[in-house]
Amino acid sequence: MSTLLEKHIVELLAERNEKAISLLYDNYGDTLYGVAHKVVRDDALAQDVLQESFIKIWKNADAYDSSKAKLFTWLFRITRNTAIDKLRSANTKSDKEIQIDVSDVYNLGVSTTRPEFLDIQENLEKIEPKYQIVLDALFFQGMTQQEASDELDIPLGTIKSRLKIGLRELRKIYDAPTLVLLILSMIS
Amino acid sequence: MKEKIHSFLASDLLEKYLLGETSTEEALRVERYIAMYPEVRKAYDELQENLEVFAKMHARKTPEGLKERILNRIRNERAGRRKFYRWAVAASIVAMVFAGSSYFFWNQNQELQQKNTLVNNKIKNLEEDMKVQLEDLRNQYIVLNNPNTKKYNVNGNRKAKDLKAVAYVNPVKKLSYINVSNLPQLPEDQCYQMWAEVNGELVNLGIIKQFEDKENLLALPYSDQNAVGYITIEPEGGNDAPSVENIVANINY
Repeated sequence: MSTLLEKHIVELLAERNEKAISLLYDNYGDTLYGVAHKVVRDDALAQDVLQESFIKIWKNADAYDSSKAKLFTWLFRITRNTAIDKLRSANTKSDKEIQIDVSDVYNLGVSTTRPEFLDIQENLEKIEPKYQIVLDALFFQGMTQQEASDELDIPLGTIKSRLKIGLRELRKIYDAPTLVLLILSMIS
Repeated sequence: MKEKIHSFLASDLLEKYLLGETSTEEALRVERYIAMYPEVRKAYDELQENLEVFAKMHARKTPEGLKERILNRIRNERAGRRKFYRWAVAASIVAMVFAGSSYFFWNQNQELQQKNTLVNNKIKNLEEDMKVQLEDLRNQYIVLNNPNTKKYNVNGNRKAKDLKAVAYVNPVKKLSYINVSNLPQLPEDQCYQMWAEVNGELVNLGIIKQFEDKENLLALPYSDQNAVGYITIEPEGGNDAPSVENIVANINY
């Protein structure tokens, strides 16, 4: 995401301009929906989460401090926390309809692949599952390295090295297309 | 220093901060490290980049119509908030009017209470005055109607030839009064003052008002033994001690 667009959205948010939400949705909607889905593992719940997250983003726009976090980091935090809260309240409800298997949530590993998302997840397959698992634990499950080591029954040192390699692989994928994206966004 | 940064980076605190899972104190600590050490700043920025990339890999196509639903809710939220503000403004105006009128009424009540005390005090004073005057009148009546009352005619000396007064003394009731019926005119800066010497002690009986006191009986201190009353001419406002040279009348009773 170009920082120019980021700046523009942040300014619109500060002005309480609705266009900010529209732009946020167009640029981050799919990613945040993916984040929500990764946590709640349910289409309807993930949609609720996304809706509530955008309301929170809109209401708490003043709380965003660009010196403390990138825009995406802030959006991610809100969405992830909303999803975790949603999951908790959904789990405490006895409602059969939205009952979710808890073990599913903490089930580490590659997310369920559906044909329609194959193109988006194509990049993901470039990273070996063993690195993905560690990245997943770190970014989505919010585990500490020690917790990941305990949970996955992998020595802490291995977790650390896999994390390092995983992040490096990530950067390799990231660096190539970003350059193209940057150039494209500059032209447009 | 290097050691400190290294152990900080190894502690997972930065990762927890990235996901917004730190406590307030932890967050402050992390923010301090980020601000102080470029290495930590770099690590944090990298983590942020990685997070974005990793999250993007998990992107899912949002369902049709969700964007519209979200935008509608935000519009409603704003309308609701505007409505709320309108109500809030109305409510605060009502509250201010209420507070204002409360203060006004409280103030008025306070004033009325003060006035009430004042009026009550006046009534009490009047009552007391009336009692005193009634008592005085009763005494005057007793003195004037009592057969034991002796009557002395008092005439002025050559300084005030027209001065005429009558003193009433009743030894049974131990009361004495004087009525000054005529006083010669005095210049504006002078006045008549009455004194009495009772048992060798001088008593100031006050200024005689030329017109008002004509009709009145003025009380004189009573004494079993010889008592002397004087009327003197004094500067306006009266004097502390009689000016002996200005005695215009003597009353022996």
